[in-house]
Amino acid sequence: MITDRYRRQTLVKELGQKGQEQLATKHAVIIGGGGLGSHSANMLVRMGIGSIDIIDDDIVDITNLHRTSIFTEHDIGKSKTLILGERLQSVNTKVRVRGINQKVTSENIWSFVQHADVIVDGTDSIPLRLLINDISLQHNIPWVYAGVLETVGMVMGVLPKKTSCFQCIAQNIPASRNQETPVLGNLPAIIAAIQCTETIKILRGRQPAGLLIYDIWNQCFDVMNIKRNPYCPMCGKKKKIN
Amino acid sequence: MKITIRVFGRYKDITKKDTIQLNIGEGNTLGDVIECFVKQYPATEKDKSRMMASKNKMYASFDTPITEGDEITLSPPVVSGG
Repeated sequence: MITDRYRRQTLVKELGQKGQEQLATKHAVIIGGGGLGSHSANMLVRMGIGSIDIIDDDIVDITNLHRTSIFTEHDIGKSKTLILGERLQSVNTKVRVRGINQKVTSENIWSFVQHADVIVDGTDSIPLRLLINDISLQHNIPWVYAGVLETVGMVMGVLPKKTSCFQCIAQNIPASRNQETPVLGNLPAIIAAIQCTETIKILRGRQPAGLLIYDIWNQCFDVMNIKRNPYCPMCGKKKKIN
Repeated sequence: MKITIRVFGRYKDITKKDTIQLNIGEGNTLGDVIECFVKQYPATEKDKSRMMASKNKMYASFDTPITEGDEITLSPPVVSGG
């Protein structure tokens, strides 16, 4: 039974009452509880995804506050996910929110995502995204990549073996330079909002839009419709001959 | 040969165009196209080694050969912050 809580949302024809009820049965796993992950968790909890896990082993730092909206100065030094779990559960007691204060590794990722209907990327690392991509392809779990840098954000929903995977687009990325990433404070909220739309669409069985690129400084929004790369080392079927 | 490149993200702002035409020699690769692009638009220099480039709607490595009529897109590098 959907209560008045979602009334305005169920009026949206893309979702409707049926869609809202469907969202209540879904389980989303958000990996990362920082700028992107905390905003996505906040939105998905409010929108009524039935069950949400947020996984991160990081603590709140003063440098997180400019680009997040859940944490306060009182939270500095505390676990991001435990705060998110507690605070967001009180926002919506009709869904289940769980903060998991652990680092995601290749050894434990399956235990976190095995019941997921979708994985939501809130990480800040390419290797972890490649790990998510790998587990997504192995076990046919859709996921939604999002990244931010300076004034630019990107989002791409991945339907395993149906759409481009992260490796398809990430093949030219060099090893991390281990620098502190510059990010305009309001960017993660905007990009997380776009990421949540793609997440909801996937949960509703819709096709994600492709690679979305938004430069909020120049107000330049682009959608790139890209094909799967048949030579992709992770999702491709063909072997490249050099 | 003449090739057309569609640009995305801030490259539209830098080039003030959606598509640009470049003249490159036969036997060139996607990497050569990027070299040419960067030379023409030096503001994109910092992205040179990480630019996302596609040929015929598929992301492709810099050593991919280019032939007349290929549809090339260039966009800023994948962003990794969270």
